[in-house]
Amino acid sequence: METQNSRREFIKKMTAASIAASTTTISISSFLSSCTPEVQKRAATADTVILLWMAGGMAHTETFDPKAYVPYEKGVESKRILSTFPKIPTVVDGLEFSQGLEGIGSVMDKGAIIRSYKSADLGHILHTRHQYHWHTCYEPPQSVQAPHIGAWIAKELGPVNPVIPPFISIGQRFTMGEAEELKAFHSAGFLGTEYGPFLIPDPSSGLDSVRPPKGMSLKRFESRYKLYKELVNKSEIMEKGSNYQRESLMRSMEQSYRLLNSPEAKVFDLSQEPKDVYDTYNTGRFGLGCLLAKRLAMNGGRFISVSTEYEPFLGWDTHENGHIRAKKMKALIDRPVSQLIKDLDETGHLDKTLIILASEFSRDAIMEGRPGELVKNQVDQPDIIEDEKYYGMHRHFTDGSSILMWGGGVEKGLVYGKTADERPCSSIEKPVVIDQVHQSVYHALGIDAQTHYEIEGRPFYTTPDGKGKPILDLFGKPMQTT
Amino acid sequence: MENTNWILQFFGRLHPLLVHFPIGLLVVALVLELLTLGGKRKGLREGINWMVYIGAGVAACAALFGWFLKTQDEYSGDLVDNHQYTGIATAVLAILTAIILSRTLKKAPLNLKAYRFMLVTTVVLLSIAGHLGANLTHGEDYLTEILPGNEKGYSNLESSALLTELKGASELSELQKDKLNLEVRGLFAHKCYQCHSENKQKGGLVLEHKEGVFKGGTSGLAVVPGQPEESEIYKRIILPANDKKVMPTKGKLLTPDEIALIKLWIEDGAHWSDKAVKVFPEAPLALTQPALPTVTEETHPVDKIVSVYFKDKKVDWNAVVDDRKFIKRAYMDVVGLLPKPTAVNAFIASTNPKKRELLIDELLNDSENYTQNWLSFWNDLLRNDYSGTGFITRGRFQITTWLYNTLKQNKSYDQVVSELMNPSKASEGFIKGIQWRGVVNSSQRTEMQAAQNIGQSLMGVNVKCASCHNSFISNLTLDQAYGFASIFAEKPLELNRCDKPIGKIAKVNFLYPELGSVEGETLKERLLKLSEVMTSKENGRLYRTITNRIWERLIGRGIIEPVDEMDNTPWNAELLDWLASDFIDSGTDLKHLIKRIMTSKAYQLPTVSYKTAEAIKQDYVFKGPVLRRLSAEQFSDAISQVIAPVYVAVAYNPNEEKMPAQRIWHHQKDLTNTVLPLPGKRYFRKTFQLKKENIQDASILISVDDAYKLFINGKPVGTGDNWTDVGKYNVANLLTKGTNCIAVEGDNKGKIGNPASILFAMKVAFKDDSVFNLYSDETWLSTDVAPKANWADLDFEAKRWKKVKNYRTSNWAKLLDFTFKDHQKTFARASLVKQHPFLKALGRPNREIVTTTREEQATLLQALELTNGGFFNGILKQGAKKWLNTYGNDSRLIVDTLYQELLGRAPSKEEQNIVMASLGEQPSTAQVQDVFWSVLMSPEFQFIN
Repeated sequence: METQNSRREFIKKMTAASIAASTTTISISSFLSSCTPEVQKRAATADTVILLWMAGGMAHTETFDPKAYVPYEKGVESKRILSTFPKIPTVVDGLEFSQGLEGIGSVMDKGAIIRSYKSADLGHILHTRHQYHWHTCYEPPQSVQAPHIGAWIAKELGPVNPVIPPFISIGQRFTMGEAEELKAFHSAGFLGTEYGPFLIPDPSSGLDSVRPPKGMSLKRFESRYKLYKELVNKSEIMEKGSNYQRESLMRSMEQSYRLLNSPEAKVFDLSQEPKDVYDTYNTGRFGLGCLLAKRLAMNGGRFISVSTEYEPFLGWDTHENGHIRAKKMKALIDRPVSQLIKDLDETGHLDKTLIILASEFSRDAIMEGRPGELVKNQVDQPDIIEDEKYYGMHRHFTDGSSILMWGGGVEKGLVYGKTADERPCSSIEKPVVIDQVHQSVYHALGIDAQTHYEIEGRPFYTTPDGKGKPILDLFGKPMQTT
Repeated sequence: MENTNWILQFFGRLHPLLVHFPIGLLVVALVLELLTLGGKRKGLREGINWMVYIGAGVAACAALFGWFLKTQDEYSGDLVDNHQYTGIATAVLAILTAIILSRTLKKAPLNLKAYRFMLVTTVVLLSIAGHLGANLTHGEDYLTEILPGNEKGYSNLESSALLTELKGASELSELQKDKLNLEVRGLFAHKCYQCHSENKQKGGLVLEHKEGVFKGGTSGLAVVPGQPEESEIYKRIILPANDKKVMPTKGKLLTPDEIALIKLWIEDGAHWSDKAVKVFPEAPLALTQPALPTVTEETHPVDKIVSVYFKDKKVDWNAVVDDRKFIKRAYMDVVGLLPKPTAVNAFIASTNPKKRELLIDELLNDSENYTQNWLSFWNDLLRNDYSGTGFITRGRFQITTWLYNTLKQNKSYDQVVSELMNPSKASEGFIKGIQWRGVVNSSQRTEMQAAQNIGQSLMGVNVKCASCHNSFISNLTLDQAYGFASIFAEKPLELNRCDKPIGKIAKVNFLYPELGSVEGETLKERLLKLSEVMTSKENGRLYRTITNRIWERLIGRGIIEPVDEMDNTPWNAELLDWLASDFIDSGTDLKHLIKRIMTSKAYQLPTVSYKTAEAIKQDYVFKGPVLRRLSAEQFSDAISQVIAPVYVAVAYNPNEEKMPAQRIWHHQKDLTNTVLPLPGKRYFRKTFQLKKENIQDASILISVDDAYKLFINGKPVGTGDNWTDVGKYNVANLLTKGTNCIAVEGDNKGKIGNPASILFAMKVAFKDDSVFNLYSDETWLSTDVAPKANWADLDFEAKRWKKVKNYRTSNWAKLLDFTFKDHQKTFARASLVKQHPFLKALGRPNREIVTTTREEQATLLQALELTNGGFFNGILKQGAKKWLNTYGNDSRLIVDTLYQELLGRAPSKEEQNIVMASLGEQPSTAQVQDVFWSVLMSPEFQFIN
């Protein structure tokens, strides 16, 4: 075996070695200006990731994987309800979306859709537990604190632009239900707070986080730092040799000063956008989040998540009036998401920016959990619907949902996997689990599948046991059969 | 090995010598090449060229010799392959580089870039090849083994020593047979388990237990007693390196000694010892109770032991720190506060020779502050917090009240442990674990969490690995972990390996069965037994673990590191065991232990500086304490003491006055659901009856997020715009007998929905000693439509006003000032505050899991919070206003006071000049604020020196 493979192995290892060469020689990149980028291109197809998070469980049958439309009428049976919207065509032949997503439908020729994502079976459903699983690839609780995928990426790749924090989380507040559970995965875990999320709950105030404190002029900010430096230099503690703790403190202060004093801060300033662009995106906080994500992606952001925000019973967490709520949510996302894709495509940034749109699980009108593993119902749903508030997808469904991806090397116009057209609308072709999604992202970014750290004696990998496999079809390569 | 050619072998062995030439030549060539960048130093060109040519030539030879070495000597495995590939690639690249170079020289310098690129690539590849080669020669862990936590688990020296002993014996004794078998099993563990364990059964072979070893695998019997030549294991390990069937396939082959041991064991009948194989070093359970050295020049027991240690390590005693440094350390370590300048001066002035001990006593006796300081340590250790996951579905319980009282009463450690193991309702949160809703991985079931947390926090042993599979880093097995977890289970537990049931029911057992049985019919019975076993004095490990933790807290580095791995070797075993024994002798008195350490000269030595974090972990020699950074809580409390209160509300108030007042606001809905209140003004009314006339006294407490105007019977009472600032009003003259009306105009600021609320309480005392109370609750009415001007009047009709919503308290803490009792306005200790972004940024952990060491190094996010965080800058601004009020615009006084209060010393002349220049004659709030900031950011303030 060894000898048969050795040639191929050798070539593989050579490639790895030249990748290593290209990444370890940043300091002399000027010297190599004509050669390096080409080598890097082979390693990674994406530099930046934008995660558009549909918080609360977005029903696939109401959005990107519509089934038979049953319009509302008094006395309709719940079990007949598969979709509450008609289907619409998209720019991709044969690919249909649910009404209200015309915009996103029009950019599907630039991206791919996975229609067979299966969430884990975690028993009695708690959104934040599934969200934790989605964002960390590990089911909570864990004996060590698992890092968010954004933290892994921040740790492994660092910032693209040194003054833009490598992990930025837009849109989620922590003031309503399940706040603590949300905080548990908005975290770098054992990787250390250095790699944790830079939180911007309100994108229109993003600028406040990256400039001198409110009410402090730049001049005052600079003279304050000067005073600090002067006093430190005169202090007796400085006389005692070098000390790593003291130095790390002073280094971090200097970094922070430079960041806050940097002209790049205007990237966070949405008022720099022309009014018509701003208005196009402005469907609410989520839309403006997409606009901020666009600006960040164009100026050296690394990992940016924009959430529709999870609050129990709000957003995509439709427990009643599902039809009306889904309609509102589609109006919230359709314009900004499609505009984001178009804008990044136009400027050429889409090539190196991997955009993912996903949710923790899907919903169904009557099924809670998944076929064969039904769990405790959380809302009442009458068999016969007499009131329109019961018309919609009010229960949590974990056996099939959609993930959209654009850019960063993702195959254009690809439809991957399939769910059944009749209830249960489960993934029936090429089912995908979270490990594959994460590994696909790492694959696109050129992060080694075996990346891990030892924590309390345990090797902790980016995906459990380092076993996650990328979905190579997404990147235009044939599926490996091994 | 018979088919070796001695000439090739000879050349092969020259490889390690030869490889150093290309390394030197090509690296230097690259350095010189860099120097010629931009057309400079043209004179170097000729030399560089020759270095590249010679380097490339020798690289090719080296690669060839390397190939000889590999084929002639016993090398195999991935590492060798990788080294071979990279080595050959380096040689090829080097030659290509040389060719491009020579062509470049002949033609125009068109190819210079290509040549330079090739040269860099060659050197990078060369470094990789060189590194892999070094790994081969010195072992893969040559570099990493010296990193902290990588102490060698297994040494070859033992096997050769044993071999010598056994070879000398004519017939093996039972003891020797046991030893031989255990040694062989140790070898299996280190060399073979990776592929042949229950977790990974390559070729169907499991070498972890007797059954597996004698059953063999798909290739046949692994061991045939008495017949090594028939035993598959032996046949495989003696194969030459390049044979496909040689074992181990990964890593280095077994040494001749190791092979001889296995052979001897099989020849001798493959005896299987009943003793469990202890592969990893394990600390003895019992304390050694060392006698104190008879050092006469030291009086303190700790110093006597350290003196002997110092002599051995050739370290001289330094002079202890001065009084000024000592008092800051003592205050920070015991009560977590800064000493007041008056206290510092009095301490320095005192001539009492015992003043340091007296100070320690005085501080330890300040139970309230001692508790509020050490609470953070215990909360981290016992994973207790005021908020966190699991609370929403009652899957988690706090032990705060119990813990607070425990510390305040200074319960003995034995009692603490007993009450945690065999808990009442108040302390059960620790072993109950955290249960998220739904089904969890079997290694995270709450019973297993109990085992893991007790293991880590109290016993310094990692049960986490073994709760999923037999541990790779200690001797613990899956059986043991489940046995331990079963103590806490209502029903017997089935073992799960890597979350898959294996059809075996766990037998209740303690990790260290020699301490006694923990079996019992009922859960209660088992917990009682566990509490007894844990605190039995034979369980030295319990006392050693806490002693080491306290030492680490006070000195900055444990006697054993990491503090959760108590099987590691201490830098001084006598010291640790003496302190632990002394702790037991004191009746496991935690304050005694703290005092014992703090009164020693060892504690009072100057801090030692380290250039890197690793330097504290590896090859550690104790010379004095390590510089420690103020904890998040200490930092926050110091600012509260000197500048302005950082917090005024707590999650837990030990002196709380219970009141049923609710946090209410206008009910904000989205369709049918309650959502965060939107920004804007809301109007609130509450009418009530007073049945009596003779009012003695009537007072109101009010706190509104974000701002309010308060009216009684249409008359304005007061306003406020900060919920942390409790409005207190005396309203006796505004109330009348009969109907009265409270009206509040509340304002929620901000651009998006955010928490808003009114908290209100009124107490009316009548002359007949009866009392009428009124609180904010869901009977109040509100509207979001701006009402008519007379809306606050008694006779206004609140038509279409709706009932308010109780928004609960989770977004606001308990205001210390929200009390009718007489009390002094003060600040909230950060240890009592719910996790907050500011504290989090400064390193307070989210207590989802046990945390025994906080991050030591400063981070960018932390610096950002301190540099531009609105919260922190707001506090400084508030403080600056307060200081200007107190000290007028006397810049000199401000500088001197600030240095005295924050740093415990007067500013130097130079510092005084700098700060005064910055403040100017008429300091503004902004200037004072910036001076605060500059001094607070200084390492002198942030570190305990």
